[in-house]
Amino acid sequence: MKDRHGCDASAGNEAALCVRNLRFAYGGVEVLRHVSFDIKPQRFTVLVGRNGSGKSTLFRLLVGLLKPQEGRIAVFGRDLHRLSLRERTRLLGFLPQHHHPVFPFSVEDVVLTGRAAHAGLVPKAQDRAAVREALEQLGIEPLASKPYTELSGGEQQLVLIARVLAQKPKVLLLDEPTSHLDFVNAHRLMALVRDSLCAHMTVVAILHDPNLAFQHGTDFFFLADGHVFQPDSGRDPWNSALLERVYGVPMETISFGNGAVVVPGDFSKSARP
Amino acid sequence: MFPWIKRAVVFGFPWPIVVLSVFVGPQDSIAPKEALEWMASMMMGAPAAENADLVRAIVWDIRLPRILLAFCVGGALAASGATLQAVFRNPLVCPYILGLSSGAAFGAAVALAVGFLPVYGSAFLFAMAAVGCSYALGRVGKAVTPVSLVLSGIIVSGIFTALLTIVQFLADPFRLQTIVHWTMGNLHNAEWKRVLDSVPLMGCGGVGMFFLRWRMNVLALGDQEAYAVGVDPEREKITMLIPATLAASAAVAAAGIIGMVGLVVPHMVRMMLGPDNRVGMPACFLFGGAFLVLVDDFSRALTAFELPIGIFTTLVGGPFFIFLLRRFRLGWAV
Repeated sequence: MKDRHGCDASAGNEAALCVRNLRFAYGGVEVLRHVSFDIKPQRFTVLVGRNGSGKSTLFRLLVGLLKPQEGRIAVFGRDLHRLSLRERTRLLGFLPQHHHPVFPFSVEDVVLTGRAAHAGLVPKAQDRAAVREALEQLGIEPLASKPYTELSGGEQQLVLIARVLAQKPKVLLLDEPTSHLDFVNAHRLMALVRDSLCAHMTVVAILHDPNLAFQHGTDFFFLADGHVFQPDSGRDPWNSALLERVYGVPMETISFGNGAVVVPGDFSKSARP
Repeated sequence: MFPWIKRAVVFGFPWPIVVLSVFVGPQDSIAPKEALEWMASMMMGAPAAENADLVRAIVWDIRLPRILLAFCVGGALAASGATLQAVFRNPLVCPYILGLSSGAAFGAAVALAVGFLPVYGSAFLFAMAAVGCSYALGRVGKAVTPVSLVLSGIIVSGIFTALLTIVQFLADPFRLQTIVHWTMGNLHNAEWKRVLDSVPLMGCGGVGMFFLRWRMNVLALGDQEAYAVGVDPEREKITMLIPATLAASAAVAAAGIIGMVGLVVPHMVRMMLGPDNRVGMPACFLFGGAFLVLVDDFSRALTAFELPIGIFTTLVGGPFFIFLLRRFRLGWAV
């Protein structure tokens, strides 16, 4: 049985992110209660849940944009709310919400701002190297000198992901990283996260598409009614009883090889009269 | 056009303007040849001409301090405008629009009227207060929208202009003349003492903005974007506003309110070099300085009686601001 009360690294808890008894309410309306979980290092953990289930709130708590009313969050055993902003930035990277900037900075300059916590006043050669590496990883070097404001939504999203990669955090939190990406780019990004990023960082992502999650993720957490829960060890995350609890509608599972695709039963074509 | 050509133009064009301005003056004044001969005699020990004392007085005591002051005032206003635009992510703001200039003018006028306050210190404090008010009043809920910031800036600017009028009304007549003269935006009575008082302050502000120029790129992308990469946006804004206000308030205290330089020059530089403040900030200082020196050359050479330079800069800048507003409506998604 794992320790449910401490996040102490010395007690043998090797979690990258450790959350204990988190409670959060927006003006009296409880969004999250008794949330406790550990995220293992160098894994690709996916959070799945419906709209309004509190995923984004949980995310904003994890990156420190919101403060929980109760409970604690630790990053590699260190209390999130006792870290300085600079220390936190070196440990935790996240994608800010999508918006349109005013000035037409080049893609390279946008990605370079990811180095703010490392560079100090003026970026140096190693910062520019980190930018090039991030652009190459995502395959967007051809965009380097283009104005960010003239890119498509999907390209802008890739640039912001490159920016957080250039930041080189130990834990990467991605809220809907594929929302503007096309089908192929979404899978390419997920494969990149799984195959190369998880070799040296821990990635946690919110995904709306459970099939994308099941295909690429290694660990899964589900959110429903303000609770976070995990599939029982040894059971597939796509078992229908679990998914019906998360989504509140009957689910059909189509298995293939060692994977599966799920479809909400109520709305599939076969259910139509 | 290749980027290096544009950079060469922006960074190269100011120097000849500044040098050639030494030879510009009203038609009945000394000829460029006389000024050149005087310089040769000073530097190479050539025999002095008959009217050497007159030439010396004109070149050394009148033209040089004026050119230096114009250059620093233009540079300080332009760099400060570029900083404000980056900090507030708003292409429509400048020291004038945000009330910084009127705040500084009020502060300087109070100091001139009472006679025992330091002019530059008082200008800086009231300019800081004006920018703080504009920012605080422009807040709608949690965010400061570009339009609400411009509106609150105009209101704050109006209040300080009204207060300035009250100071003028109450001031003793002998001091009133000094105050009125100076608020019109004048360079014609520049002398070495004024240069030595104000240029170090504008220089300090300029150096501060120069060091923070890349951090402005980080901030210009957005508050949450800055926070995500480890920059506390509110603290960073204050850090950048201090040198911007110092430079612009010293410029106002030295030369009065000179409108539009702080708005127009950052836009010109951005059109030529792009939005990266790493090149934009030094370019703004140089280009803004040369711009004001050039405008001042026209105001010195064209008419026998001198028009205050603020009138010229506003005549150039006003139509440009309208052009920007139209483009803003059409193209910029804010």
